[in-house]
Amino acid sequence: MKAGLEVHQQLSTGKLFCACPTELSETVTSVVLRRLRATGGENHHVDAAAAFQAARGLTFRYESATTSCLVDLDEEPPHALNDEALDVALTMALLLNARPLDEVEVMRKIVVDGSNTAGFQRTALVAVDGHVDVGGRRYSIPTICLEEDAARKVGEEREEVHYRLDRLGIPLVEIATGPEIRSGAEAREVAEELGTLLRATRRVRRGIGSIREDLNVSTDGGARVEIKGVQELRLLHRYAEVEEERQRVLLVVQRSLAERRAGPPEGLPLDVSDALHGTASGALGDALGKGGRVIALGLPGFGGLLKSPTGTDERLGRELADAARAAGLRGLFHSDEVPAQGITESIASTLRARLGLGDSDAFLLVAERVAGGADRALESVRRRARQAIVGIPEETRDPLPDGRSRYSRPLPGRDRMYPETDVPPVAITAERLARIARSLPERPEVVRERLVREYGLSVDLVRQMQRSGDLETFESLVAGGHAPSLVARLLTQEVPAIVQQVAGGAERLSEPVLENLLAELARGSFSKEGIPAVLTALAKGASSLAEAVHQAGLARMSAEDLRWVARRLVAENSAMIEERGAAAFSPLMGDLMRAVRGRRDGKEVSEALKAALADRSSSPAPAG
Amino acid sequence: MDEGTPSDPWFRLKDLPMGTTVEIAGSDGRRWKGTLVPSHDLSGGRIIQLKLDSGYNVGIRVAPGDRVEVITPPPKSGGDGAPAPRGPAPPAPPPGHIALLTTGGTIASRVDYRTGGVRPVSDEAGILEFYPGLDTDGPVHVVHVFDRLSEDISPEDWSTLALRVAEAFSGGAHGVVVAHGTDTMAFTSAALAFQLSRLPGPVVLVGAQRSPDRPSSDGPSNLRAAVRLARHPALGEVVVLMHADLSDDRFAVHRGTRVRKMHSSRRDAFRSRNGPPLGWVNSEGITLDQPFRTAVAGAVIVEPLDPRGGLLWSYPGMDPDAAARYVEPLRGVILAGTGLGHVSSNHLPWIRAAVARGQVVAMTTQCLEGPADPYVYATGRELLRAGVLYLDDLLPETAYAKLLWALGRSTDPQEVKNLLSADRAGESEARHLVGGPE
Repeated sequence: MKAGLEVHQQLSTGKLFCACPTELSETVTSVVLRRLRATGGENHHVDAAAAFQAARGLTFRYESATTSCLVDLDEEPPHALNDEALDVALTMALLLNARPLDEVEVMRKIVVDGSNTAGFQRTALVAVDGHVDVGGRRYSIPTICLEEDAARKVGEEREEVHYRLDRLGIPLVEIATGPEIRSGAEAREVAEELGTLLRATRRVRRGIGSIREDLNVSTDGGARVEIKGVQELRLLHRYAEVEEERQRVLLVVQRSLAERRAGPPEGLPLDVSDALHGTASGALGDALGKGGRVIALGLPGFGGLLKSPTGTDERLGRELADAARAAGLRGLFHSDEVPAQGITESIASTLRARLGLGDSDAFLLVAERVAGGADRALESVRRRARQAIVGIPEETRDPLPDGRSRYSRPLPGRDRMYPETDVPPVAITAERLARIARSLPERPEVVRERLVREYGLSVDLVRQMQRSGDLETFESLVAGGHAPSLVARLLTQEVPAIVQQVAGGAERLSEPVLENLLAELARGSFSKEGIPAVLTALAKGASSLAEAVHQAGLARMSAEDLRWVARRLVAENSAMIEERGAAAFSPLMGDLMRAVRGRRDGKEVSEALKAALADRSSSPAPAG
Repeated sequence: MDEGTPSDPWFRLKDLPMGTTVEIAGSDGRRWKGTLVPSHDLSGGRIIQLKLDSGYNVGIRVAPGDRVEVITPPPKSGGDGAPAPRGPAPPAPPPGHIALLTTGGTIASRVDYRTGGVRPVSDEAGILEFYPGLDTDGPVHVVHVFDRLSEDISPEDWSTLALRVAEAFSGGAHGVVVAHGTDTMAFTSAALAFQLSRLPGPVVLVGAQRSPDRPSSDGPSNLRAAVRLARHPALGEVVVLMHADLSDDRFAVHRGTRVRKMHSSRRDAFRSRNGPPLGWVNSEGITLDQPFRTAVAGAVIVEPLDPRGGLLWSYPGMDPDAAARYVEPLRGVILAGTGLGHVSSNHLPWIRAAVARGQVVAMTTQCLEGPADPYVYATGRELLRAGVLYLDDLLPETAYAKLLWALGRSTDPQEVKNLLSADRAGESEARHLVGGPE
């Protein structure tokens, strides 16, 4: 495997082409509906990816938010390129030993999936020919770009995609490595190192989605595939491995198709609704019940090759279904899935006969709700089947949360770029580079040495925080007076453990929340042992720290309750106390500590127990 | 401009044709290979632009010691990027067609990926290819009138355009769409409304606030809606059709004499003043909910303009001598006064002299909403006594177009004033309803 990475890091400098802050917003101020079309006019010049997206004919619903403006809505020309953002990109250029350009030209990259209101993303090449050393190996950094982030997708209906404009226009520094990465694990290491360097500039956004990776994978005999927008570094190696497996499977299928001399599917789609009425179930039956049709397409020579030859999840059937889905259909059914959805072997034979197919052939069924609604999807599936004969198509894929990926669109080419004439070019002067060189951030290895020296932490612990992006939080919490070892353990062990288990936990356990937690801990509202339980409650959405402490059952026990529990314990064990005298204290103390579960200090518990024993003869035992 | 000397690579590079693939080797070891593309207007000196294989353009400063090698010359024109060869003259359009008059700007433009520039398209086939579906409801015949940015369009051009509109109707068009740059579209619509009387169908001016090379351009949806409106069976006046709001699914129909560009960049920049738009177009159809002028069968009459009129925006500190010199060669001037229609009283002397010479001086309000009224304040009454004609709620731009038309109709100042005062194209609104400007 050969892989390259593109790391996209959001900056906190203010937006790239307007004066909006680089913050997300939950306050929607207005909504507009738009459509986009692929421009270019002459078909062979319209970028393949752009034409593909435009053909879907979607409507886009844009939500303006408190952190967006007319520029984001494509209603006002872009302002000049944000100088501070360019400084960060140039800082990265110098940190990565790259060569800044003499003059930066902003380009428009056509993207008509609606994620950019203008129909293009503005992007500029800032520096070239850099490199970075990770784990004793040198990786080339061919390009460093500065570009604007896309709008945030917040929903989707059948023919309408909803975007919020708060994220649109946030500057992204894009760092691309050469195709020198040899494994998923290596990809993760390089990504972590680049992330550490980016954060060292202290002008980056933090939190979920603020850094995203594109993974370019190519395998021997396979194709170059781009998995776009991976947010979780810990899954990076998994995407690489699954992609390798996917390509391996598709190459096996290709060889089988070649042995069978399978040709491209030429048969016309056939309406087979009448054969399936009353028998089909699932999506097919559903469509028929609602007055739709089921259309069949024959794939001569594909029989048995749509399911996985290796028993993994990767298979050609899924590729075809993805092609159908990307063209607007919900999915498809294929003959290697028989029997399912009410399609029995005998119905399958009927369909084969109708389609003029034999045993080594396959067929597909798609549900069509309105006449002609599946035409484009069928054409798309047919194209994908043709590609299976030739090899593996170069394409862009979307990462899925389970480490797999899904087809999204053809790989875009150079045809999608043309100059953004609304923004003047920016000359990179020697003075500017000299100024940036004078104020380069501390390099990560220097930071590590400093922290080891100042706080007595291990190098590995500091490196771990650098890579996870928690170092700034660490420094800020320690500056707030909290013990370095406690903060380090919180950030490297306790928080990650809970974030892994609780969906959405990472967003809820933000720096201010942790700060508050440490302050309350110092105040004695709960004990150190209670941290995991409080964090869990917060990650699950407790409305306040007090609420979390309460949910965790850790609210400090009142002195009165403590006395009551101690007296009851003494009363229940009077026989044992009679018998063992002073030796009864130790087992009773153990029982009482368990009952109190950290809600009072050990010293207070011991005093309460002593008092209860002393009172034993002089007061009546409480009931219950 | 640094031209360099023959030994300087810049000397040769700056004259190489665009599209040449070159390799530049810097004395500092850097190497660049790419295709020469036109530099940005604001690029620095000694900077050339190369399009790299990745599609990115980069600006490279060429130093005297650099080496330049031509890898491949530019592709010959005639292939990609050349205009489509013109075939035989198309047959005369059938009766009932829509005439689409193009006046320049970039109603249709293609990106030239070789140079990265944007190239306008003006031939009928090219435009219909650029806007697929424009002629699904009936034939559209493209007439290229002239090629001007709207800020370059003059009153002479308004007359040319008025003639072409009349010709289109006499050639059997049911309606006419005029594609126009937006900056001065409201001036043109007002002028056409005064010059053309007895219209047999709609004349719809339309433009785009976002250029058509952008996927998000408002041009295609505006143009489609304009063609639809031009098929309206009863509408017989000059209107402007543009986005009603920031969504791409609703369009406002503005009377040509009561519309103004009220924002420099928004796609809903065009607003009717002193009253609501005539109506709306959306996917459901056309709704004209205000009274409109109905189509009248027969020949269109085109009336001439006299360009010797002016428009003066009053402001504090305006020099009376400078104003007098500006007005002197003209036959008439529209003042855009403050508030209810005032200029500083130190302008009264030149105004009295102008009126005495037989020049027409007429007043509008720069408030752009509400009437000019001379009776409320003493200054207004003085201006009135000096011979200034008050034009009620006419927009200054509309009043200017009306003045040129009135001057074209008559050489008698009193008659010009009579023409200015009488309603010609629904330009004045007698009732101003509560609700205020948008």
